[in-house]
Amino acid sequence: MNVSAQTESACWSCHAPHFGGHFCAACGKIQPLPRGTDYFALFGLPQKLWMDCAELEKLFHQLSWKLHPDNFVRAGEYERGLSLERSSQLNDAYRALREPVSRVEYLLAHAGMRKEGAAKQQAPPELLEEVFELNESLDELRAVRASSSDGAELAALKNRLHAEARKFEAKLHEVDEELKRIAVEWDAALDAPADEAKKKALMSWMNDVLNRRSYIRNLVANVQKELAEV
Amino acid sequence: MGRTVGIDLGTTYSLVAYMEGGHPRVIRGPYGTPLCPSVVSVDADGRVVVGEPARRRLLTQSDRTIYSVKRLMGRGVADVQDELKLFPFHIDAGSQNVIRVRLGDRVFTPPEISAFILRELKSWAEDFFKEPVDRAVVTVPAYFNDAQRQATKDAGRLAGLEVLRLVNEPTAAALAYGLHEQSAAADGQMVAVYDFGGGTFDISILKLVSTGEGDIYQVLATNGDTHLGGDDIDNVLRAAEWEEIRKSGLNGFSRTGEDAQVLREAVIAAKHELSVLDKTFVKFPAPDGGWYKREITREEFERAIAPIIERTIGPVKLALADAHLQPPQVEEVVLVGGSTRIPLVRRRVEDFFGRKPHFELNPDEVVALGAAVQADILESGVKNMLLLDVTPLSLGIETMGGVIAKIIPRNSTIPASAQELYTTGVDHQTGIDIHVLQGERELAKDCRSLARFQLKIPPAPAGHARVEVKFLIDANGILQVHARDLHTAEARTIEVQPSYGLSDVEVEKMLEDSIEYAEQDFSERQLIEARTESEIILLATSKALADDVAAELSGEERRNIDAAISLLRAAMTGADYKLVRVRVDALNQATMRLAELMMNRVLHVAVEGKRLEEV
Repeated sequence: MNVSAQTESACWSCHAPHFGGHFCAACGKIQPLPRGTDYFALFGLPQKLWMDCAELEKLFHQLSWKLHPDNFVRAGEYERGLSLERSSQLNDAYRALREPVSRVEYLLAHAGMRKEGAAKQQAPPELLEEVFELNESLDELRAVRASSSDGAELAALKNRLHAEARKFEAKLHEVDEELKRIAVEWDAALDAPADEAKKKALMSWMNDVLNRRSYIRNLVANVQKELAEV
Repeated sequence: MGRTVGIDLGTTYSLVAYMEGGHPRVIRGPYGTPLCPSVVSVDADGRVVVGEPARRRLLTQSDRTIYSVKRLMGRGVADVQDELKLFPFHIDAGSQNVIRVRLGDRVFTPPEISAFILRELKSWAEDFFKEPVDRAVVTVPAYFNDAQRQATKDAGRLAGLEVLRLVNEPTAAALAYGLHEQSAAADGQMVAVYDFGGGTFDISILKLVSTGEGDIYQVLATNGDTHLGGDDIDNVLRAAEWEEIRKSGLNGFSRTGEDAQVLREAVIAAKHELSVLDKTFVKFPAPDGGWYKREITREEFERAIAPIIERTIGPVKLALADAHLQPPQVEEVVLVGGSTRIPLVRRRVEDFFGRKPHFELNPDEVVALGAAVQADILESGVKNMLLLDVTPLSLGIETMGGVIAKIIPRNSTIPASAQELYTTGVDHQTGIDIHVLQGERELAKDCRSLARFQLKIPPAPAGHARVEVKFLIDANGILQVHARDLHTAEARTIEVQPSYGLSDVEVEKMLEDSIEYAEQDFSERQLIEARTESEIILLATSKALADDVAAELSGEERRNIDAAISLLRAAMTGADYKLVRVRVDALNQATMRLAELMMNRVLHVAVEGKRLEEV
């Protein structure tokens, strides 16, 4: 298993030196999970954003086979606790890493670079105009609906909103493409290897993109909710 | 160390199974069937009766007898108000968050009642092995929430069983089928398990993968309804039949008590028959003698129950959506649970998935068999299968404004965890309150409260405290909470107050108090059963004697019957069960002609008004 050695420690059972990994190389006992172990390391993978999903699933199955609490039912309480810890982390890790966007989210969160806050609620500058138009359409829809007038007017408004929502869905697609491009740059930077400043810059960029993505997704979801109401 | 078994603790029937030579087998009880009715009755003497004899007591002492207690597990009184309209649960006034059921003059919690059933199965297994049995894998509906699971674990403990693992019913069934079919493929096979039992409905979507080392059963998504099952079908039929009874002008038949159980048995019998026949009769002995008899066609039956079956489709669609699958992508469909014997259910499932479902394995036994397989894996350490199950409901914590923050999404593979960092908002704040819930809604009030607890903090300025709380859902699907003070790196103990359940302290006390509901020895059990049989036949005889046709008996016949009755009553007060049985047979003999007379009389109750010979 390729896990970057953190600090050298000793196996709790046989005291052989332990350099990381799920089990002791000498006696095979399951080892405690060092705090802050990142999800990529759990799978023995580098922190790269491109991943072969089939490979990841295979690793997940292999590791589950070894770490699952079922294997430790008759072991002592300490080992059972270690198994519970490692297998829950493994499952959490798989959940995070199997989807491209959550993979990026995790990378940033682990590095302390995920900042949402106000940025999540603000419209990205380049979209301000479209957002303004969309909100106007939404207000009109609510007004017409409240006055319960002309069915035809309501239908027309709904159609307009559908079209605007579709434009935002297209923007979402653009944002996802941008994320993919940064991911490629990130992986290249890891290979280079690039310095910390470069990596931080890339992560900051990814953070912005994620915020924009959240914003657009919420917008589209809200519109669809409104449209779903009769 | 004793033996380990697999137990299906079902709403209607419970079973126990074990592994032999790589094959799971069910254990048969004293009646020769592996099915133990999940019915518990308490004698006037305080003796507890479980299973078939208890089921018969529904007809004679319905206020001391309870069925479908699984419906009450892990729920509070407010939750079951709707059920109370349809089920004769006698809820004690003292109940609040833990329901207390009255049986005769005794009061029990649902885990205690379930524990009686588990003890019964434990004794079947011990009789079979001639060895102690102290560990078990027990199954639960996949859609059971935390409180319902904990209640099941509590029941195991109260029954003297160490519950090695709670396994979800559909997953257990998948294990039994997988072993049977040996069909897992290397690139994964998609399987849907449609489990429609007596009280609960579960749908699970699994991926079966064959790896180098063995087969992995990975649940992708699960959904269901913990209050949808055969019981609901029975209730619809009862309500419809009651309408017919009213129209027929039948007198003296009650909607409650023993009469309600008589009607229930009658519609259940008709329901079973309509799985095989196109039409049958709903029939039961009428209060004025004779029989109530009404023809029911399969068509009428299907019309009545179609809405209930349709209710299963919603969860199926949700599970498929969560698994990111379309129905045609499901390669195998497996039917589990007695209610899947109904032809309409099979047609609907085949319709929906576009392929014929499997039902080669006995739908009543398959869950217990799977539990035995899992028990063997855990016990023997010989592993060629691994179950990766999921938590069915999202876990969340209540935040400001009563909004839920979801920390572990539904259908996350278990064990699963999440971490939250807490601090204080006010100077000298000494406690942080945390409310944990399960459910998919946005607001806390719409979700299921799981537990509340308080972190104790030493006084400090606001924002100073750093407590990391880890929420862990274990392999049983049950929540554990651990807290760590980041300043001191010390673990902090937290006392979790379950919202709907017994605290550890309460369970401990129940174990200690362990009032002697000890396993009855064989002859005691026989005596109880014999007495129950006597009660039934005495009741039937007195009804018949009150009927007009009794006048046609000769003086001698009448005297013989009266004598047989007194002899039986005398035997019942004694402790010799064999004598009771002999006297029951004697009374049966004495009343043979009376029974014939009753059968031959003209029916004036049936809607068609036909004579028995013409029907």
